[in-house]
Amino acid sequence: MSTISKEHSDRLFWLGRYTERFFITLRSLDKLYDKMIDDKQGYKEYLSYFGLADKYSDSKDFIHSFLYDESNPNSAAFCLERAYDNGIVLREEISTKTLSFLQMAKDTLTNSQSKANIRLSLLPLKDILYSFWGSVNEHIYDDEIRNIIYIGKTLERLDMYMRMKYPFADVEKEFIRLCKNLHRVPKGTPYRYNTNYLCTVVEVLGTERDYELFSDKAIKSLEHLFEPMEVTV
Amino acid sequence: MDRRLFCLLMIGVIIMTQQNNEQFIKPVGNADEINELLRRYGVKFGIYKNGVFNEQFFPFDPIPRVISSEDFKSIEKGLVQRVNALNEFLFDIYHDKKIVKDGVIPENFIYISKGYLAQCEGITPKNRIYSHISGIDLVQAKDGEWYILEDNLRIPSGASYPLIARELTRIAAPDAFSENEIIDNRNYAKLLKETMNYANCGGISAILTPGRYNAAYFEHSYLAEHTGSVLVQNDELFVEDNILYHRTYSGGKTRIGVLYRRIGDEYLDPLNFLPESLIGIPNLMEAYRSGNVGIINAPGNGVADDKGIYYFVPKMIKYYLGEEPILKNAPTYLPFYDDDMKYVMDNLGKLVIKDVAEAGGYGVVFGSDLTQEKLEEFRQTIIAEPRRFIAQEVIDFLDLPILDNGKTVMRKADLRAFVLSGETTKVWASGLTRFSRNPDSFVVNSSQGGGFKDTWVLKTGT
Repeated sequence: MSTISKEHSDRLFWLGRYTERFFITLRSLDKLYDKMIDDKQGYKEYLSYFGLADKYSDSKDFIHSFLYDESNPNSAAFCLERAYDNGIVLREEISTKTLSFLQMAKDTLTNSQSKANIRLSLLPLKDILYSFWGSVNEHIYDDEIRNIIYIGKTLERLDMYMRMKYPFADVEKEFIRLCKNLHRVPKGTPYRYNTNYLCTVVEVLGTERDYELFSDKAIKSLEHLFEPMEVTV
Repeated sequence: MDRRLFCLLMIGVIIMTQQNNEQFIKPVGNADEINELLRRYGVKFGIYKNGVFNEQFFPFDPIPRVISSEDFKSIEKGLVQRVNALNEFLFDIYHDKKIVKDGVIPENFIYISKGYLAQCEGITPKNRIYSHISGIDLVQAKDGEWYILEDNLRIPSGASYPLIARELTRIAAPDAFSENEIIDNRNYAKLLKETMNYANCGGISAILTPGRYNAAYFEHSYLAEHTGSVLVQNDELFVEDNILYHRTYSGGKTRIGVLYRRIGDEYLDPLNFLPESLIGIPNLMEAYRSGNVGIINAPGNGVADDKGIYYFVPKMIKYYLGEEPILKNAPTYLPFYDDDMKYVMDNLGKLVIKDVAEAGGYGVVFGSDLTQEKLEEFRQTIIAEPRRFIAQEVIDFLDLPILDNGKTVMRKADLRAFVLSGETTKVWASGLTRFSRNPDSFVVNSSQGGGFKDTWVLKTGT
């Protein structure tokens, strides 16, 4: 493969983002499951990270909505469906084998609904996702294609970690990972970063104190990271 | 029950004798397991029902169709002959029209065919090949004779399903393949790639799809993956100085040398065909006419796979190749001719009538299914529009066994053979065997609820 269209580059990017969002959502819900064994209202903090109102009758209602409700844009099912939507039009780039892990994840998530122990039945999903990323590495030979997916993945992870107030050390590690991927993007292509916005993120993540105070600013800058640079004469 | 015993039962218990070649066949694995694998790999087709798009998994039956080596050799010879004649016909029709001038085919049948495109007059594709990928539908009668049902020379689909099914059935039931001498059919992508390369006029290979919501999208993407082609949609392509380019995400352009298009002729180029087409590429025909891009299959092929022209294919074989046709057409009548009209009128109740403008199993009417009143109504339609229909004797197909809820039942089935024309004309040693799931139906199309099975061609001497 040596020619990538704009449409496909966008889909590669969003494949990376939604797959990662699905993974982090799943992992967060798994932790919440554990937390809610002791604290039934434990999910409220999670809602607050995303500025969402508590419209759930109880923790079960919350879990069901965030796992399976495709009309909830923050649910695992919604993210996975979007990942699949992007993946299915990229078969020749990511390979049938890679795509098959998303189908497996869909089937596993759907089937878990009818299981007595949902948490247990969701465990294979993590293995499937690790396999998905293994397959991305194994079957995508074109570095440019693989890198666009990874930019989506690492940007999503950084964004989610900051929203969910992850410790500075974790966020910093993910930021370094994103920077490495950004560095590989050829000049003049859509995923070449906007220096101004990247500088803002660098500033915010310069110290733990700045991260705690200004993470919103960094999150906002990530949204604009790929906007074209203004040219001044 | 012991699990191993159960598996053995599922895999190996049904041994059946096929009427035509008396080969012993073991069904390939467990239907559920294979269908699960097909699900996993996204083997789907899309279908619109009441304006709503749904993706369905294409049901796979684990009992393969088996074609003996001798049978296949004869089919192969007949198909190569037929496709070569059809390619000669297409060249002739868009150039000198000798076959019309010599009175073999009435002029009327050419020019009123919807598939005839005046825009293609005088165009000679690279290497004079028009139908690079031909999907020829055959049925086997109970006496073992193979009949051609129709030729598909525009965008025949379906090769990807048996291709991936074989890959998966070899995983699910390896013994079935080690115990039988079966030709490996997993070379389709290689054959297709060679065919595309032969038609290439300089540049990369691309497969043009109308998009994800096309019925055959799985196939488009799967074949792109396995031929190393770029899967493109029209808005990624443009023509500049009569050269077709792919617009890259960095603002650059890559020249396309061959375009395997999976959209109909009429939508291909809004400046040459339907102006309202939103899925075509303006000026594509100029690039094609200039010899700067190969189009697979060539635009205008519809004139040769028109159901009316089908009647004349045996005559074409004699005319262009000076040979007797090896494969027979199903007995066909053209109401356009007075004698045939009389026969059709006298026997309407026992014939199958096909609307030449329809495809995909639509527009097919069995006289025996109609009430007296409907039959009369239909009779009048044929009299009013004789060129619109052909009539055929109902061939008593050989039924094939399929597994239905664990029981073996017999169902109607056809075979779509794929013929690839490149440096030489080759028949893929496999094909798409489609079957009807309805016991009373002859219609096997996937869009009508049919399923598919693997097609084994046995090696010589087996």
